[in-house]
Parts: sequence; structure tokens; C-alpha cells
Amino acid sequence: MALLEVTDLQTHFFTREGVVRAVDGISFSVERGRTLGIVGESGCGKSVTALSIMGLIPKPPARIVGGSVVFDGQDLTKLPEKRLEDLRGREIAMIFQDPMTSLNPTLTIGTQITETIRRHYDVSKQAARKKAIELMEEVRIPRAAESLDDYPHRFSGGMRQRVMIAIALSCDPKLLIADEPTTALDVTVQASVLDLLDDLRHEHDMAMIIITHDMGVVAEAADEILVMYAGQAVEQAPVLELFDHPEHPYTEALLGALPQIEGEGIREGRLTAIPGRPPDLINPPAACRFAPRCPYANDNDTCATEMPDLREIRPGHLVRSTHPASEREGARRGAGVPA
Amino acid sequence: MVVDPAQSKTQQVGAGRVAAAQGPGVGGGSAGAPIRQSNLWKDAWRRYVRNKAAVLAGSVFVLVLLFCLIWPIVSPYDPNAVKFELKNASPSLSHPFGTDNFGRDMLTRTAVGGRVSIGIGFAATLAILLIGVAYGSISGFVGGKLDNGMMRLLDTLYGLPYLPFAIIVLAIFGQANFWTMVVALAIASWFTSARIVRGQVISLKENDYVRAARAVGARWFRVLGRHLLPNTLGVLIIAIFLELPGVILGEAFLSFIGLGISPPNASWGQMANEGRSVYRVAPHIMAVPSIAIATLILCANFIADGLRDALDPRTRET
Repeated sequence: MALLEVTDLQTHFFTREGVVRAVDGISFSVERGRTLGIVGESGCGKSVTALSIMGLIPKPPARIVGGSVVFDGQDLTKLPEKRLEDLRGREIAMIFQDPMTSLNPTLTIGTQITETIRRHYDVSKQAARKKAIELMEEVRIPRAAESLDDYPHRFSGGMRQRVMIAIALSCDPKLLIADEPTTALDVTVQASVLDLLDDLRHEHDMAMIIITHDMGVVAEAADEILVMYAGQAVEQAPVLELFDHPEHPYTEALLGALPQIEGEGIREGRLTAIPGRPPDLINPPAACRFAPRCPYANDNDTCATEMPDLREIRPGHLVRSTHPASEREGARRGAGVPA
Repeated sequence: MVVDPAQSKTQQVGAGRVAAAQGPGVGGGSAGAPIRQSNLWKDAWRRYVRNKAAVLAGSVFVLVLLFCLIWPIVSPYDPNAVKFELKNASPSLSHPFGTDNFGRDMLTRTAVGGRVSIGIGFAATLAILLIGVAYGSISGFVGGKLDNGMMRLLDTLYGLPYLPFAIIVLAIFGQANFWTMVVALAIASWFTSARIVRGQVISLKENDYVRAARAVGARWFRVLGRHLLPNTLGVLIIAIFLELPGVILGEAFLSFIGLGISPPNASWGQMANEGRSVYRVAPHIMAVPSIAIATLILCANFIADGLRDALDPRTRET
């Protein structure tokens, strides 16, 4: 049985303007020790999915209206808040996008790490401190012992993200959710943080969900990829399969928007952008949500009137489209990016 | 545990601070020059010291405090010893502030009265802050309907006139002593601090680190006590010095109209009241405590002003 099994998760925001279907029927599972990448553009529901798993969505206005999140045999959506609090940090940990604001500026790094340890384990201050130094060394923060009593403003963005990772790892969680862990960092730092995350995942035998809008990041870090669009899963496949044979026009377009610097059949000329904008998630039409931007859709299609189902086009490869690449007439494969 | 409030703000000044720390004339490339480490309190102190009025006010404030604390101990006179042959004496060498209508030494009485006035002032301010922090943080932290209800209640209470309310409270207690005065003064003036704290908590609780803390399992009391309240400390320190004048004035007023500390014990307002009947013959009896009150309030205002600039890094100038 998978460590985390999300089935038909629906998280809606009840706002004055109407019900926003931020997450509208997402299903996926994460096996122990595996990494799932969730990709999609801003506002497609990636972060809300993560926060729904953690039970951290802002209520009100948001509410999980349907589906289940089964973690290690228990449905998190039905757990009382007290049990969830014990679970957070201990079993599931999360790191956030912006390390500059995710640490409390009034507490030392050491305090923030040890407090998490002491929240979940009954250990002495000294023992927690020792563990904190080990963690800081593990996330490769130089002069760990001395840095422990420093305040966060002494740290750069990359170092702070390492501290966040140390805090997340402090209780050996079974699942780590990384919500755009590298978005706020510069490219060189991004790579080192991603490497670190990958190493730590192996060492701690954690499962990981990595949320990003950067195809490059998931290509490097994930075993399996879920592409989200407008609150729904549009394509899900193992990483190589997805990059080599993207089926959904949206995934193709995402890959087409990536710059390539090497490889066979390298694309030349301008990068292609996806025309249009994602649909409003208040009362979305009962059609394929990508149809208005889809180069293959036309008005006579069923996808203009009905929502296509998520179907298995090849073993392990799910797609929600009436025009997947392999079924298109005169199918011309979208230029895959070497993973 | 060292709590260092408003470190958040130091981020914004970081760059400027390092530049300032290296000092003018020191080239950026001067190898080996240690970058002076700085923290919020050092910075705040530096900015405070630059404000001449605030420094002067702070010095006077401390001197007045020391005088009130020490003088009654070393004074040759008993503040309550009546000496009718000396009544209403003008300032002289042996009695620098003169004597009052019972022949008591005004200098000693001013010091003793200052202990009471300032003591009540600080105690009531503290009580105001405690009530305000409790009420405001719960209201802001829980939010939603409770917040709405608590704030509407506060709006209603805001309509109460402060001094009549204090008078009624004192009347209910029946007698005025140090602690009933504190209660009477605090009970009708914690509304503003509750609002300040609520506003701070509401804006702080949207911070990423609050969400991050919750993501590692922190419970509500930890989030509130550890992550929210310490960050409001800077604002609260300023609030103390903004509340203090009003409270001291309130105490003086209540004592002046005869509802305060009962004679022969002294407080500044009560001394002024005693001087009222003889102000034609001996104006100094009323003038001395009045000037003392005015001085203290003026100082508190200047200190609050200086602290506001010092603790807010955005007003920093290099």
C-alpha cells in the first residue's frame, strides 16, 4: 500500500464572488521512498493540494469538500486537529517557497530547530541542541555549532532554506512536501539545494512531493510527475515517459516553452508561449478546461462541451484530453527535452 | 531565552547597516577589516542617542526617578512631620522647595509623592498592557466571529468617558489606596492597547513563519506566545511611554479632586490640591507638584517619540 493516497481531493474556496474550485478532483499516490513532482502554472492548485494534505488550508474561506487523503492508513481529512498537529512535523513535514520569511526573525536558528524536536520528542534541551547541530551539519551549513545561536537575518536565502530543511528533517518524517523549495533562490543555489534534498531523501528513506512550476526541477528530482491545470490533473506519468512522450497538449506546450541548450533535434528560434490565460475557477464550464487554449481543439469536438476523463493511455501514463499526441492525426511528436 | 523583537525589521536595514558599520572613508575592499556585528538593540540605541530631545528627556526622567527613590531615605525631614511654625514657608536653603501649609518639607514630600504618582503610573500602565495584550491577542488570533464580537464590545466601551468611569470605580471600592487607584485607572484605558495588539497580531499571523511553525506541529499557544507576541514587543514598549502620561495625569486629577490617595500620604495631584486653598499666599505649594507632573509627562512623550524612531528602522538615517 502506498504511503500517501490522495483520492478525488476537492478543496474549494468559498468567497464572496462564488465558489473557487482550487483543487477539483485530484488523485495520486506516493510510495515510500519515491518522489512525486507536481507541476503547473501559478494558480493551478499545486500549493492548495499540498496544504490540503497538511490540513493547513485557511478555513474559512477554504474547505475540503470531497475526497480523501489517506496517509499511512489513516484519512487525514477526518482526523481531529489535535491528532493532525501531532502528525505535522513528526510524520509529514513541509518546506515553503520563501526562506526569507519562513523563519521567525525574533528567534535564533537553534531555538527554531530545537523547539520542533522538543515538540515531538521528549528530550532534554542539551540533547535537542546536539541533534540540531547534527542536522545543521547534515544540511551542510558551515560552522554549524556557532551558527546555532545566530538570528535568521545573518543567513542568506540558500542557507535559510537549508535551515528550513533541517527543521523539516528534525523528526525524521516519512513524507516531505517541498512547495517550490527553490523558486526564491538563484540558479546556482537552486541546484545545490535540490542535490541536498535528493541526498537527504535517500539517506532518510523519505517519500517526497516536490511542487514546482519549473520543468527542469522535476526532471532532476522526481520519479513521477503530475501535471496540473486549473485544479485538475491533466497528465500523470513516470518522469522519463512524460518528457519523452508527452501526451497532453498542455504538457507539450510546457515543454515547448523550455529553452534547450543541447541535445538532439534541438529547437531553434523563439520559445513558444501558450496563448491565452487559465480559466476562472469560479463556475468553470463543463468542458475541457484547456480547450480554449488548445491548438488541437475545435468547436465540433466533444471537448468543447464535456470534460474528458482521465484515462490510461499507456500503462502508468494517465492523460485527460481528447487529443493526446499519440492519437492525433499525423501525430508529430513534440520536441522532448532530454531528461 | 533571548527574545529579540522586530529583528524582522533589521533585515530591511541589513545592507545599510553593514555600510554604516564599515564607516565612511573605509574602502569596501580593505581586507581583514572586521564587519562590526550589530543587533536591533544596538542599532536602536544608536538612533535613540542621536535624538537630542529624547536623550535629554530620558536623562531628566531617570533623574526624577532616582530623586524620588533616594531622597526620602537621605532627607533630614519626615515627609509627614507637621511643623506649624514653618507653614507656607517660601523656598530657602534649608527647604529648597519651601514648606506646605502644615510646615512639611516640600522637597521630601515631592519625592514621596513622586513615588506614589510614578508607581501608580507604571503599575496601571502595566495592567493596561496586560489586559490589552490578553484581549487583543485573543481577538486577533482567533479572528472571525469572536474577533468581531470582541471588537464591537470594545467599540461600546470606548464610548465611556474615562475619568467619570474611574471615579465610579473608586466610589464602588469605597476607599482609595495604591491598588484601587491602579484598578480604577487601568479599567477604563486598556482599550487602545488592545486594539494595537490585535492589529499587530492580525498582520503578523499571516507571516510565512507562522505557517511554517504550524507545518511542524506547533500548537496555538506556542504560535501566539513564541511567534506573535515577541514581535509586538517594540510597539508595546512605545505604547508604555504613550500611556504613561495619561495615567499619571489621571492619577493627579483624581487626587486633585480628592478621590485619590488620602492625606497625610502624598501624591503629586493631592499636593497640588492642598496648595489650591493657599495659592495666593504660597503659590509654590501648588506650583512644585504641578511642574513635577508636567516635567514627567513631557519627558515621557519625548521618550516615546525617540523610541518610536529608534525602534522603527525605516526612519533610520545614516
